[in-house]
Amino acid sequence: MTFLVGPITSVFDVLLAPFGHGWPWFDLVLWPLVGAVIALVVYKYVSNQKAIAAAKDRIALHLYEVRLFPEDLRIVLGSTLKILWRNAVYVGHNLLPMAVMLAPMMLLITQLVSHYAFAPTPVGEPVVLQVALDSGRPASSVQLEVPNGVTLDAPPVRTADGHAYFRLRGDVAGDHTLVVRQGSETQTKVWSVGGEARKVSPLRTDSLEAWLYPGEPALPGDSSFRELRIATAAQPMHWLPDGEGGILLWFFALSLLAGFALAKPMGVTF
Amino acid sequence: MTRRLWGRLFAVAAALSFPAVAFAYIGPGAGFALAGSFMVLLTTLAIVALTLLTYPFTLLWRAIRIGNPYKDAAVKRVIVVGMDGMDPGLASRFMAEGRLPNFKRLADKGAFRALQTSNPSMSPVAWSTFATGTDASHHGIYDFITRDPCTCAPLISSTDIGKVERVLNIGRYVIPLGKPEIKLLQKGEAFWKALGERHVPAIVQRVPITFPPNAFRGLLLSGMCVPDLRGSQGTFAFFTTEEKEGRPAYTGGEQTLLRRKGNVIRSRIVGPDNSLLKAGGRMTLPFTLTVGKAGVTVAIEGSEPFELVPRRYSPWIKLTFKPGLGISVNGIARFYLNEMDPNVNLYMTPIHIDPENPAMPISHPDVYAIYLAKKQGPYATLGLAEDTWALNERVIDEAAFLDFAYLVGEEREKMLLDAIEKTRSGLVCTVFDTTDRIQHMFYRYLDPSHPANAGKDITAHKDEVAKVYESMDRMIGRLWHEVEREDTAFLVISDHGFTNFRRGVNLNSWLFQEGYLALRDGHVLSGDWFEHVDWSRTRAFALGLTGLFINRKGREQSGIVEEGAEYDALVAELRERLVALRDPEREGPVIRRVVSAMAEMDGPERFDAPDLLVGYEGGYRHSWECATGAVTATVFQDNTKSWSGDHCVDPDIVPGVLFSNRPLATERPRLIDMPTSILRLLGQKPPAHMVGGMIFPTSEQPAVARGWLDPATLDQSGAAPGALAVP
Repeated sequence: MTFLVGPITSVFDVLLAPFGHGWPWFDLVLWPLVGAVIALVVYKYVSNQKAIAAAKDRIALHLYEVRLFPEDLRIVLGSTLKILWRNAVYVGHNLLPMAVMLAPMMLLITQLVSHYAFAPTPVGEPVVLQVALDSGRPASSVQLEVPNGVTLDAPPVRTADGHAYFRLRGDVAGDHTLVVRQGSETQTKVWSVGGEARKVSPLRTDSLEAWLYPGEPALPGDSSFRELRIATAAQPMHWLPDGEGGILLWFFALSLLAGFALAKPMGVTF
Repeated sequence: MTRRLWGRLFAVAAALSFPAVAFAYIGPGAGFALAGSFMVLLTTLAIVALTLLTYPFTLLWRAIRIGNPYKDAAVKRVIVVGMDGMDPGLASRFMAEGRLPNFKRLADKGAFRALQTSNPSMSPVAWSTFATGTDASHHGIYDFITRDPCTCAPLISSTDIGKVERVLNIGRYVIPLGKPEIKLLQKGEAFWKALGERHVPAIVQRVPITFPPNAFRGLLLSGMCVPDLRGSQGTFAFFTTEEKEGRPAYTGGEQTLLRRKGNVIRSRIVGPDNSLLKAGGRMTLPFTLTVGKAGVTVAIEGSEPFELVPRRYSPWIKLTFKPGLGISVNGIARFYLNEMDPNVNLYMTPIHIDPENPAMPISHPDVYAIYLAKKQGPYATLGLAEDTWALNERVIDEAAFLDFAYLVGEEREKMLLDAIEKTRSGLVCTVFDTTDRIQHMFYRYLDPSHPANAGKDITAHKDEVAKVYESMDRMIGRLWHEVEREDTAFLVISDHGFTNFRRGVNLNSWLFQEGYLALRDGHVLSGDWFEHVDWSRTRAFALGLTGLFINRKGREQSGIVEEGAEYDALVAELRERLVALRDPEREGPVIRRVVSAMAEMDGPERFDAPDLLVGYEGGYRHSWECATGAVTATVFQDNTKSWSGDHCVDPDIVPGVLFSNRPLATERPRLIDMPTSILRLLGQKPPAHMVGGMIFPTSEQPAVARGWLDPATLDQSGAAPGALAVP
């Protein structure tokens, strides 16, 4: 399935291209709104709207009971139990739409993370490229080829558990393509150095994690490399947490607000 | 089912096995549900914690402030089931015929007696007396309507709906800065307020003249006089393709002539005024009728389309009007397809205030109406929910009227059952109107010679009055376990009884003919609301269902009758002449008694009251035209409307009923005694303004009345042959 990461990323590159170069906050407002609309449409048609409305109605009913008969403990406690049960029923009705929306939302968020959560490495600042091989393969033969503008800052370190570490320094801003070799296999890893905020790929892997870091195509399934990782700084997000956390929190809050605002006009009950 | 279950299990598994993704996904998807669910849990726990934490303090506060409220109580709980208009004569007759086995059991267990009603003997007055324990001169409700002393225009006597004083003008909108003041004009305090002050729970449902609901420590759902969404007391709509000379072939309500194009008919539902617009005008909702083979599909803007088959009511349909600025005004209505071939005739009930989103306060607290709607679904909120006027105008027939009346009755019973379930101690009081409405509209079947029978069915619904009593009897049967409880006083009461309404008397015409009322410019007739009346020469006028006003100087804007000797003399003269009034077509008196409010009542409200309260003989009542201030050519007219039974007569001939699961301490209980007695049963001291006594046995007064009412004690003057307790 990871072979799909590359084509999907290409689609998002096209979608995000018109917005991604001027004002990142525009993108960060637009896409949660788009996400909210998609979620509402999916939710409307996948969920059992009548059952959800009924469950909410029953919750409201029992809340009113507590409010109207506060001096009767029998009613208060009985209604509380009913609220808890109805709440579970309500959440239960949301599981199916949750499952259906899982994939598109994940795609959207991971693309946003890849575009906006990581900062390019400043020019001149050293970083480590970590190469991990499939278990059982020795790292002794892993070779790295660096392009112009990138300097190998120290001799590589290779460990017995199949890892190789290369300390690099970018002398020129740009998206540099690093080439790693293991036997007859050659793979590349893009390293973003200096310049404007843009899509940055901290990890290239053949595992499911490739879906979470779709900045580059996943490694082929038969590759002897397990992952190629560059320690990348999180993009400052002003008053939000930096990097992934900030993006997720922002997406969560804004899409939720948009969802609440648009639900009624779109005729969605949740 | 299994597939859905597996789907959910898969979703849970996916979420749990991929926590990072699940977290990322939380935003717009399940975030709605999870956030909402979390908020509910948080709110619930907060409310419960608050309730549990404050509960001991509430108990302590109550103990310090009032002690044990039930210390002197004879019972822990009082259930009052009001059956508006239930007549002791008819009840006796049906019991004797074995048609009311549960009422019989109730009477055998405790007592059944006639309950002296109020004067005037009509629901707004009587139920106000029930609520406040005072007569009309104290609570100030003498009729459904009264007049504005400045203009003589009609006013609802129980409610004053004001206007918003401060508004913001923006473009074409007028935005109110506040809510209009809606005031209950009934004076005096209801007895349930006294219960609330003593921390005795009370649930009061649909007792007339409780709109707007006054705040008290208890729950109340307003009854009679709650307006429809248009602000009227019930304006039905009728859509028809049947025309006469380019107009709908019917009268009354809001008539709309439909134009059919193939199988499709488009029209509009007319809603309330748009008070947000400077230009005003009524809000409307477009709808489409698609005529099919078996019925029609009704698609109303903003609502789900629904199917309608002939001669069956739709469920309550939500109608959402949008005055602008994102505001919605919500109502509910039921639809009834009278016929679809060759003409489409569609009746729509008045638009009731939606109890789930009330546009006006119809309960105390506000959420009580909402709670009931969530508990049992939408329900009728209009004060006069059963559409007697639509039947009067023959827009619907008897069957349609009955169907709706019983649907309302079912809704009411659900409310009552919920109130009983929720009240382990205290008061439950619910009023059913079905008995009153059906007797009004079907009384003619008890009298084969009733003038209203002409041209109408006289057999198909011959037994309807008995049937409504039987339906109430079955409800008592369903509540029998409550009747049997020793700690519960179970009371069935009615505010008045019923008698025949064969002849209408237009006292305005009589006053005109006798020189007490003058018309301008040579007119000999006058339209409604005193259209041509010359106030400068008018000494008396009639308005409403029993009232006759003297045009008093200092009270009416154009008053000419001086207080003192002139007034007293005119009152005496009118009383004497009215009692002597005779119907040229029938023998015997027309009016049994005329009460002077100033001379025979002692409350502070008597000054604004009708000066004379006309107590008719059975068979007579103010005519329809008299009630609306018109002058007609004749004084006496046959009543040919379906509204063929009435009670706006001498109160002595239309007492109500009292069924009790315990004996009484008096043979002659009165409605005015009820609040005092209920308070005393629950161990509370009645407020000083209540003038009634205790009708149940106490240590000082023994039980004297048990078992059935002796029907021979009833004065059934003028009742229909089929309504006599002893045929």
